[in-house]
Amino acid sequence: MGFVLPAAPPAGAITAEAPTTETLSSGSQVVSLELPEAPLICIDLWCKAGSAFESPSENGLAHFLEHMVFKGSERQAAGEFDLNIEALGGSSNAATGFDDVHYHVLVPPEAAAEATELLLDLVLQPRLSGDDFDLERGVVLEELAQSQDQPDELALQTLLQVACNAHPYGRAILGEEAQLLAHTPAAMRRFQQRRYRGAHCVLSLCGALGQARLEPLLAALQHSPLNALEPTGTEPEPAALELTPGLHRRSFARLESARLLMAWSLPPAADRGALAALDLATSLLAEGRRSRLVERLREQLRLVESIDLDLQVLEFGSLALLEAVCDPADIEQVRQEVHAVLEQAIAATPAEQELSRGLSLVCNGYRFGLESAAGVAGVLGNSALWGRPLDLSEPLALLQAVDRGALERAFEQLDPAKACVLEAMPA
Amino acid sequence: MTRAPSQWQHRELRGGLQLALQHRSTPELLAARLWIAGGSSLDQRGARGAHQLLAGLLTRGCAQHSAEALADLVEGAGAALRAEAIEDALVISLKCASSDAAQLLPLLLEMVAQPRLEADQLDIERQLNLQSLQRLKEDPFQLCHEALRQQLYGTGPYGHDPLGVEGELSAIQRADLQTLSQDLGRSGAAMVLCGVIPPGTAELLEDHLRLSPWSSAAAGTPLALDHPAAAPGLALHAEDTEQVVLMLGCRVPPLGDRDNLPLRLLQAHLGLGMSSRLFLVMREERGLAYDVGVHMPARRGPTPFIWHLSSTVDRAGEATSVLLDEWQRLLETPLTPEQLALAKAKYRGQEAMGRQTCSQIADRQALLLGFGLGDDAIAEALERIDALDADALLAVARSHLNAPSLSLCGPAEGLKAAEQAYRSHPLMSARP
Repeated sequence: MGFVLPAAPPAGAITAEAPTTETLSSGSQVVSLELPEAPLICIDLWCKAGSAFESPSENGLAHFLEHMVFKGSERQAAGEFDLNIEALGGSSNAATGFDDVHYHVLVPPEAAAEATELLLDLVLQPRLSGDDFDLERGVVLEELAQSQDQPDELALQTLLQVACNAHPYGRAILGEEAQLLAHTPAAMRRFQQRRYRGAHCVLSLCGALGQARLEPLLAALQHSPLNALEPTGTEPEPAALELTPGLHRRSFARLESARLLMAWSLPPAADRGALAALDLATSLLAEGRRSRLVERLREQLRLVESIDLDLQVLEFGSLALLEAVCDPADIEQVRQEVHAVLEQAIAATPAEQELSRGLSLVCNGYRFGLESAAGVAGVLGNSALWGRPLDLSEPLALLQAVDRGALERAFEQLDPAKACVLEAMPA
Repeated sequence: MTRAPSQWQHRELRGGLQLALQHRSTPELLAARLWIAGGSSLDQRGARGAHQLLAGLLTRGCAQHSAEALADLVEGAGAALRAEAIEDALVISLKCASSDAAQLLPLLLEMVAQPRLEADQLDIERQLNLQSLQRLKEDPFQLCHEALRQQLYGTGPYGHDPLGVEGELSAIQRADLQTLSQDLGRSGAAMVLCGVIPPGTAELLEDHLRLSPWSSAAAGTPLALDHPAAAPGLALHAEDTEQVVLMLGCRVPPLGDRDNLPLRLLQAHLGLGMSSRLFLVMREERGLAYDVGVHMPARRGPTPFIWHLSSTVDRAGEATSVLLDEWQRLLETPLTPEQLALAKAKYRGQEAMGRQTCSQIADRQALLLGFGLGDDAIAEALERIDALDADALLAVARSHLNAPSLSLCGPAEGLKAAEQAYRSHPLMSARP
């Protein structure tokens, strides 16, 4: 039986129009949505080519490839793409995750067709030349060094490493220095050709497109590199994540405050109902001053500077990640108090007012994230890539459908006994 | 077709508060900003961090609402509320579903007119700010920036992080904050609303002010602040890191000054996007850095113009030389017609980038009102850039960028190489 949720926002339509989708003969999908007030069009190309698809010896290649893409194609010289997009008043960027990579461009509506053509050429037909490779490897090594100068990032990476064992989620997306130095253009080419294939790619277009722009743009995609991609092969997928519970303690140079880090293994992204319940559970626990962990540890006991609990939705097993920032002398007490709050949540389900608050926070957070064309394009592109519904109000409907049993199961999955814990201490 | 957003509507509420509204049709949400002129630049010596401390406390109880009750109201509606001090203002930001606006918007007025400033909440907020200051020391960019801030602003109004200074933060009393809170709005205030604004919202605020008065001066009222002259030079901060962080910068005229626009074009040319000059030279041609950019925030007073990057220890000397070469080039060589056209395209592009969400629009409008600039300031700037040529930009660069300071943070070995490069560079030896 579902909860009675008097104050929850209604799960109505989020945008005036529904997204449309088209599958090209290559297997790639094109998703588009009209957003009449958006000042810019977002063109977002998604690909199932995240670091989880690397073999251990390929570690770092997915991200390094993302860098190399911007070094040009046969048609576009290094830097030419950026120059063209920025001369149109636009901007571009890319991000590599565990599961996927996406390349996105924001341009004024009148430049949408040209920018789409340039982006597809750049990403799907990269040159990957040897000279550029060596120079860009230096840039990636600088990026790695920059991240290593942030001790909190090092601590988080250590947690994932000890928690995920040999699973690719335990490896750094940036890779490690020795591996980066060993990579070759040929190995990168092999990775690119293996992963950048028809059904592995989705193009998402959002903004004030209008039929007059959209129709010729869609027609042009029939003759684009997106429709010339090879069909997907039979490559095995990464195994399901199995996290190893335990308690670890490490010292980190230049860390000023201690960090209590905890990770839990959760259902994969495809289990949307369970993750909706977990979204609600993590919000009840750590979103806002009146959430249980924040109220107890920061407001009442004054033990932490901050405490966060994030849900990382991942295709081969999601993660919940907790981070508490505290005085080193207090870390054991912080861990005990976190345990107590989590155990209490398992023992007694929240009252209706608390549930209503949590639902409002989660629902509004989702809605607020869909205000810009880039936010919408990202959600639609990622959903289409992994075969999830393109109805933007579906996550809200899933939240409304969370019942007491689902929420209880969500809290049980956050049992402290199931967590991998790292106490990161100043050296 | 992009549907054009509606224009700003203005009115003055009881007590002098300026209200600006812009309706947008989708989605059903509202962004609000209450901009109160002053901010950390009004922190007294000995009480640096007081305005940020006050800002945090405003969210911890007002009028009949205890800290818990206020949090229940806001979080119960799934809204986001925060208050922070920046250099030129104390800003309260609210984002909520439009249907909750009538319940939540009056809270912003209660926060400034009737803050509770309870002692136990002060203790919590102070402890959180002290912990934040401690944690910031983990970030070498922060350490480098702090040293450059000292070089550019010394003990002046912009010479400290709005979070404050550890020793002084500990000494601030509740009575100090009560005094500050009573002065809120006297230097100017404005409220900006953007999104789906329910009918009668202005009247609702007017009614609230009738029952609970709050007086404020017109936003944009000039502030008489004395900014002591900068002392250009080199700052070194030894830290056991992988990289050396480099920040090279100086003070330039503020947003309202005619020379600010040419400097913004130079910022676009140098640091905006992957086709920018510094990105191409430092990263694409030499692989010296991953992240490189130009920081030029909007300020009412002397504005920082800072180039920043980080490079591995063994390349710190080279990175310093190349960075100084580029600065010198800016003072000697006019932009090519292609570079100028690209910089103008980027500036225009930024205008659209800055109005993608109601929060962005509200932030920008609050800043314009707070700085005493009109609704048409952006349109005017877009028109003005057409007339700016490369010679005009070169003249402005020579006028304002002739004495940069360099701040370095990293291992001693890298600092030594970078210092050597700095001391031997023609840009430094040319300095009187």
